[in-house]
Amino acid sequence: MPATPLTPGEDQEKLLDDAVAVVKVQAFQMKRMLDKDKLMDALKHASNMLGELRTALLSPKNYYELYMAVTTELCHLEIYLLDEVDEHKGRKMSDLYELVQYAGNIIPRLYLLITVGLVYMRAHPGSRKDILKDLVEMCRGVQHPLRGLFLRNYLLQCTRNVLPDSDGVEDTQNPQNPLSPDARDGLLMYTRESEIGMPGTVKDSVDFVLANFGEMNKLWVRMQHQGHSRDRERREKERQELRLLVGTNLVRLSQLDAVNLDRYKKMVLPGILEQVVSCRDPIAQEYLMECIIQVFPDEFHLQTLQSFLKSCAELRQQVNVKTVIISLIERLAAYATRVDGPGIPANIPLFEIFSEQISTIIQSREEMPSQDIIALQVALVNLAIKCYKDRIDYIDLVLNKTAEIFARQGIKSVQSDTPVGKEMLKLLRMPVDTYNDVITLLKLENLVSCLDMLDVKGRKTMAILIANNMIDNETKLTTTDQVNTVLSKLLDVLIQAEGESLDSVDIEDFVEEQNLVARLISLMQSDSPDDQYSILNSARKLLANGGPDRIRFTLPTIVFQFLQLAGRYSQIREEDEKWSKKVAKIFQHVHQTISALTKAEGCSADLTLRLYLEAAQAADRIDFADHETVAYEFLSQAFSLLEEEVSDSKAQLAAITLIIGTLQQMSCFSEESHAPLRNQCALVAANLLKKPDQCRAVSTCAHVFWSGKTNSGQELRDGKRVAECLKKGLRFASQCMDSGVQAQLFCELLNSYVYFFEKGNVEHIKVDTLNQLIAKIKELMPTVEKCDEVEQIQAHFERTLERLSSKKGEPLYEGLTL
Amino acid sequence: MSNRKKVLLKVIVLGDSGVGKTCLMNQFVSKKFTNQYKATIGADFQTKEVMVDNKLITLQIWDTAGQERFQSLGVGFYRGADCCVLVYDVTSPTTFKSLESWRDEFLIQSSPKDPENFPFVVIGNKIDLENRSITTKRAQSWCQSKNNIPYFEVSAKEALHVDEAFATVARNAQAQENEVELYNEFPDQIKLSPLPTSSSRQDNCGC
Repeated sequence: MPATPLTPGEDQEKLLDDAVAVVKVQAFQMKRMLDKDKLMDALKHASNMLGELRTALLSPKNYYELYMAVTTELCHLEIYLLDEVDEHKGRKMSDLYELVQYAGNIIPRLYLLITVGLVYMRAHPGSRKDILKDLVEMCRGVQHPLRGLFLRNYLLQCTRNVLPDSDGVEDTQNPQNPLSPDARDGLLMYTRESEIGMPGTVKDSVDFVLANFGEMNKLWVRMQHQGHSRDRERREKERQELRLLVGTNLVRLSQLDAVNLDRYKKMVLPGILEQVVSCRDPIAQEYLMECIIQVFPDEFHLQTLQSFLKSCAELRQQVNVKTVIISLIERLAAYATRVDGPGIPANIPLFEIFSEQISTIIQSREEMPSQDIIALQVALVNLAIKCYKDRIDYIDLVLNKTAEIFARQGIKSVQSDTPVGKEMLKLLRMPVDTYNDVITLLKLENLVSCLDMLDVKGRKTMAILIANNMIDNETKLTTTDQVNTVLSKLLDVLIQAEGESLDSVDIEDFVEEQNLVARLISLMQSDSPDDQYSILNSARKLLANGGPDRIRFTLPTIVFQFLQLAGRYSQIREEDEKWSKKVAKIFQHVHQTISALTKAEGCSADLTLRLYLEAAQAADRIDFADHETVAYEFLSQAFSLLEEEVSDSKAQLAAITLIIGTLQQMSCFSEESHAPLRNQCALVAANLLKKPDQCRAVSTCAHVFWSGKTNSGQELRDGKRVAECLKKGLRFASQCMDSGVQAQLFCELLNSYVYFFEKGNVEHIKVDTLNQLIAKIKELMPTVEKCDEVEQIQAHFERTLERLSSKKGEPLYEGLTL
Repeated sequence: MSNRKKVLLKVIVLGDSGVGKTCLMNQFVSKKFTNQYKATIGADFQTKEVMVDNKLITLQIWDTAGQERFQSLGVGFYRGADCCVLVYDVTSPTTFKSLESWRDEFLIQSSPKDPENFPFVVIGNKIDLENRSITTKRAQSWCQSKNNIPYFEVSAKEALHVDEAFATVARNAQAQENEVELYNEFPDQIKLSPLPTSSSRQDNCGC
């Protein structure tokens, strides 16, 4: 007989509705008869109602609904009978039993028998032991899996509160009258036994439930082997639905108070495991193992790990043992971290037990997929982290085992987008996320060999994770060793360039990665300047291997770190007599680093030029021996870059403006060095390509001649050269064809003239010059075509005039005509 | 039927895994408490007799699995409930947030006659713990917004307010039943024909 015949959904619904309707009618009649105290008639209706459960057509879920409807009604009968027994103690169970016999079919008869048995046990606790034994035997009469499972579930449900649950030793004074095995319908005997009998102990309850469990499991497993093989999928689905009924047996066992750790260890668990292992059914094995984990308390699991895990190794190959073990580990890990719990007892080597047993399980299961094996390692790491957070060696051990497993399987590389790869990434990221400290990670000797097993994509994922983790937690790298290991072992995939092609790389991702590396450099910090020096040197050497595409992101940071370090040495000059030499050495490295950048393809001259100027300014500030020479070198490098590498005229103007600004700020040069530098500024300014650029550059250059300083500390105040610069500016401006631009340049020049005039350059700038320039602009303005820009120029000019008119009364401005 | 001496009322206890549904029931029914965690699979009931307004009532209290994967046979046991108890853990905000979906789920699956007025009782458990995260006020205002659900804060561990909560459960369940009885005084049809059985297509198996 198949588990359930194929009946389409609609039929199922109708079948269920019809059956429920009959149940309602019969239940109503039953309750009416009970009200009238007509027990016999009530039992007849109860039997009719129970007859509906004889169907073989309903699916498990629908049968469950019907079962619920029926058993809810049976409760009314139970309550009535209990009252009966209470009120007239004399009412004989034999009478009841005979009435129950009225039911002709075995299903109604057994349901009624269980109901009556329950009432009897309540009334006569002494009968429990025997009745329980008898009922569990009698239910063997139903061998249809679905009906048998539900019948036995009813037995379990009813007996919940009458199961003997005492430690008491059995009363040995009345050993007579054990039920004879052939007393199948032997309820009659209970009347004779009446009150004296044996109330039973928890052992009887355990035997009872284990017996029922064994029978239910057999019924459940048998479903698998009935019917056509084409129905297998549906059958397995139905079995999955019914599993709950089998599991309820384990729930009952866990509800017995007298099942303490000792009894669990000696009676309960062995009994369950024996059944689970010997049934050899994968669905049953997987579910029941999970069920054991869930329904029994952690305290029990902790003390029985060995036997549970040993059984895991004996399960069928099809059983997903991984899920079972992970589920157990997760439970125990949660227990270990419970706020109100006592934690893992010190005498239980939890990690070692799991580690060893998992190895055994893996070895015993050749078909286990690699991803499951790694998932088990993930679970082990999870256990170590939750229960033994400071035992980093446990994690290292797992990583070591993982590498071993791969080696044994001959796997050298893991694709990160495969299931194995995903588990592997999970495994490796756990310590990162847990410790939030890359220094701790470095203690994991096997981390690198596991990382190396991943493909480039996987290693990148990990490297980015680690780098971000460092930045988020501001993890400082304080020794050269740390820097070397982190860069060359953990993050090598981000900084190496061996034989790669960047063609297939997403450029935005790449830029982001390299910026990430650059940010890490600022985390490399030692309290000792000498150590910091070697750290930066190591980092520089490693990063320099990254090729032109990378170093333009990473080396500038190195330059700035070096410059900062030079500043630190300068501050401690009292403590370190060699400071000057050390700073000189640093500037050598800076020079090398920048010149490496200038040679790197794709690195903009704008960047390197700025770096030279930064370095020049730093050398200017720190007065180590030879700093003038060094600063000079950097400036002259900036000039050559401008000449050789900068071709765009806008960029040229920007570059010379930067150089002029830098030189104007510096004060380390003797007149001998300063003169060629400022003259070079003027020369380059005058030699730019476009007239407006030339004009602006030379007028900017005028500032160097005025407020530039030599190492004498005095500003140059070279009024003559200032005036020459401005005059050149006028000449360039007047050569402009566009009258608007011309007006703008004149206006700017007027401002420059006024600036230097007021600063005191009265020897070479006369009020007359100002007057002429103002007249020139006034003459020019009307010829300029109207546009937004003109309005701006006009406004600029007017504001300039306003300023001048406010000063007109001063003696300096005598003769000014506006 | 209503003149029968004893009334049997069905109560369903729902809530997330680990909020203490089983402990609550054990405390109420057998005055027992254990700190050990045992997950409930499926659904399981216990009965307890209580006196409400001089009437003896048998409460059939259904303890359920908070984890859905353990309800492999579905939630057929919701049907015919007279009251539904929603439990959360006052130290766990997620369990409080889930109340809404437990309530909705119950109303959908049990399809009571008058969902608007179906009696619920909300219980906030574990008030003995110190790391409380849901305030009484917040829970009360949620209950008010759901048609004034009665709200109790209890500790199954210390047996605080558990009996009061279930007294209200019993009282409201009974009020509900009285109302339903009006509809159900007689079932849909009464056939006087002999021994009606639903399916004529019984197999020949004797059981």
